[in-house]
Amino acid sequence: MTTVPARLPLVRRSDRFIAGVCSGLAAHLGVPVVHVRVAMVLASLAGGAGVVFYAWLWIMVPTADESARRQARRPSSPIAPAVSRETVPAAVPWAAAPAGGGIDGIAPPSRPDGGPRTDNASPRGLGYPALGEAAASASEPVRPPWFRFREMRYGKEILLGTGLLLVAGILIAQLLGVDVPLGTLIPAAAVLGGASIAWMQLDETRRAGLVDKTKADQAGGWARLAAGLALVVAGVLVMVSGSGSWEQTWLALLASVAVLGGVVLVLLPWALKFWRDLEAERAGRIRETERAEIAAHLHDSVLQTLALIQRRAASEHDVVRLARAQERELRGWLFADPGKDAGHLSDRIKAVAAEVEDLLGNAVEVVCVGDTAVTEGHEALIQASREAMLNASRHGGGTVSVYLEASGGRAEVFIKDRGPGFDLQHVPEDRLGVRESIIGRMNRHGGTAAITSSSEGTEVRLGFPAAPQDSTEGKP
Amino acid sequence: MNTTQGPGSDPAARSARVVIVDDHAIFRSGLKADLDPSIQVVGEAATVEQAIAVIAQQRPDVVLLDVHLPGGLGGGGREVIAGSAALLPATKFLALSVSDAAEDVVAVIRAGARGYVTKTISGAEITDAVYRVAGGDAVFSPRLAGFVLDAFGTAPADIADDELDRLSARELEVMRLIARGYSYKEVAKELFISIKTVETHVSAVLRKLQLSSRHELTKWAAERRLL
Repeated sequence: MTTVPARLPLVRRSDRFIAGVCSGLAAHLGVPVVHVRVAMVLASLAGGAGVVFYAWLWIMVPTADESARRQARRPSSPIAPAVSRETVPAAVPWAAAPAGGGIDGIAPPSRPDGGPRTDNASPRGLGYPALGEAAASASEPVRPPWFRFREMRYGKEILLGTGLLLVAGILIAQLLGVDVPLGTLIPAAAVLGGASIAWMQLDETRRAGLVDKTKADQAGGWARLAAGLALVVAGVLVMVSGSGSWEQTWLALLASVAVLGGVVLVLLPWALKFWRDLEAERAGRIRETERAEIAAHLHDSVLQTLALIQRRAASEHDVVRLARAQERELRGWLFADPGKDAGHLSDRIKAVAAEVEDLLGNAVEVVCVGDTAVTEGHEALIQASREAMLNASRHGGGTVSVYLEASGGRAEVFIKDRGPGFDLQHVPEDRLGVRESIIGRMNRHGGTAAITSSSEGTEVRLGFPAAPQDSTEGKP
Repeated sequence: MNTTQGPGSDPAARSARVVIVDDHAIFRSGLKADLDPSIQVVGEAATVEQAIAVIAQQRPDVVLLDVHLPGGLGGGGREVIAGSAALLPATKFLALSVSDAAEDVVAVIRAGARGYVTKTISGAEITDAVYRVAGGDAVFSPRLAGFVLDAFGTAPADIADDELDRLSARELEVMRLIARGYSYKEVAKELFISIKTVETHVSAVLRKLQLSSRHELTKWAAERRLL
């Protein structure tokens, strides 16, 4: 137990030279990382103590994302994490770093792939992030200490301790003048080293199964496995061949390969099952994240609206307005075309329609065919459309139909109501709504506006040509 | 194209037998209350299986069919139409949906529904739509017209094109006006044609929508996760 609760938890950081031990230690102790590194190197020169310490921390200390995952694994309710992290895109909550601090500021705001890995990608570690982040996280709630330790802590500790004791014993024996058979010890050390490398690989693959690591990391894992295997095999070969003839060695090798094959045959189904369980767990967690997102959304929007509707049940107008607004919001969320670029003309027209709907309470149905990017001239079209929608909703008194057809800059908007209609000739001169805000505005920007009105309704037709002539026209 | 006027031709003597298929009992009862008294609701169903059974038993003129339904193989309204294929010429299907998703709407139309309306329309409108469908016509809401224009493109057909793959200039005009919120009557007035001609055009568009294997339509639908 080396930590005081107020400190940053001891985790291996992603800004690393070897394994992120030094930077993690620096963050934990609140010391510049360079000091820690220098100290580590000096300690290494002192009989390798630094190396041993480093290795010990490497094994014992979890990485930042591992630690984050452990915390994230126990949300109190499925809604809680998604609600509290509303600005973080979908699947990210699992990987939000415990050292919180500047990650939201550094990471790009949207992450289209949405994969649950972010930490390694975020460019931390410029200068001395340790101090600033330690300060930033000082205000964070105190984490329970359990997550810093692994289930296999004692097993690994005992293993490592035994190894260290062995080394110490050998050194002492040599000092005392006992002849140590280095010819046996070196291959044995090779075997041990290879085994430990392979074990680290197991650790990494387990991690890779839980977090989607990049392929490069997996390649590194394979290299590590191969290196470990080579070391072990070489060590075993040297050891075995030292004690007998080559013939025997080959026979033994053959036998061991056969035994290994048998073991693989037996263990393969188990390993496959393990892998499948892992996959199922991962898929389950993705589903759970999605479910939590949906639950959070429904909670934030629909339930709130329903509560409002219940309170305003006396006012039909309010109820209809609330219901329409909620319907619109939910539709946007459910049926939005993810492949479509946001901020195009259809979105703007829909937003204006929503605004008018909210303002006056009458439904505004928008049908869009095609779409185009918004140019300067289109702003006039949007404003004229808004004015027409306002008029239609105000005087028509019923559902307003809006139809937008756009392609490559050309755009047409039709706004139709079923009100009593009006005669354009008899609109008073001082009424600027129709004459100025719709017709005048469109004409100034190179567009067209026409209004047809009868006792069965009014339709405003706005057109905007594809040619970029709007920029040469006079501005209002 | 079937343009003969069925029960809808004479407003005084019209009547229709209807089955309502929707998994929400509240909506079914609300719809029943909204429909004109001349429309006789002969059955209700809440799942795909129930719907197929009730339709086969009652042989109604029109089925008001929700796009999303529980049961069956998960196909919803589409599956009900497929399961009632034997009755299809006599029994017409009118899709009702709250869904804005193109794939839902177009899928049920391509399965054989004669039209699509949103659930928010008034009782008078839906009564009108029922009679229209019963009379062999197609019922297009502005949104469906918008989907059609989006799918087929807004350029009129060349002579070289396959007849099914594009809308004629006249059909485009009709679709545009419907998308703009015009009723059939208003479309007829605007284009100086008879209502019957409008209905013919709409039915032709519906047939194209159902039968076209046009490249763009497939692509368009695939982009919206259909087919």
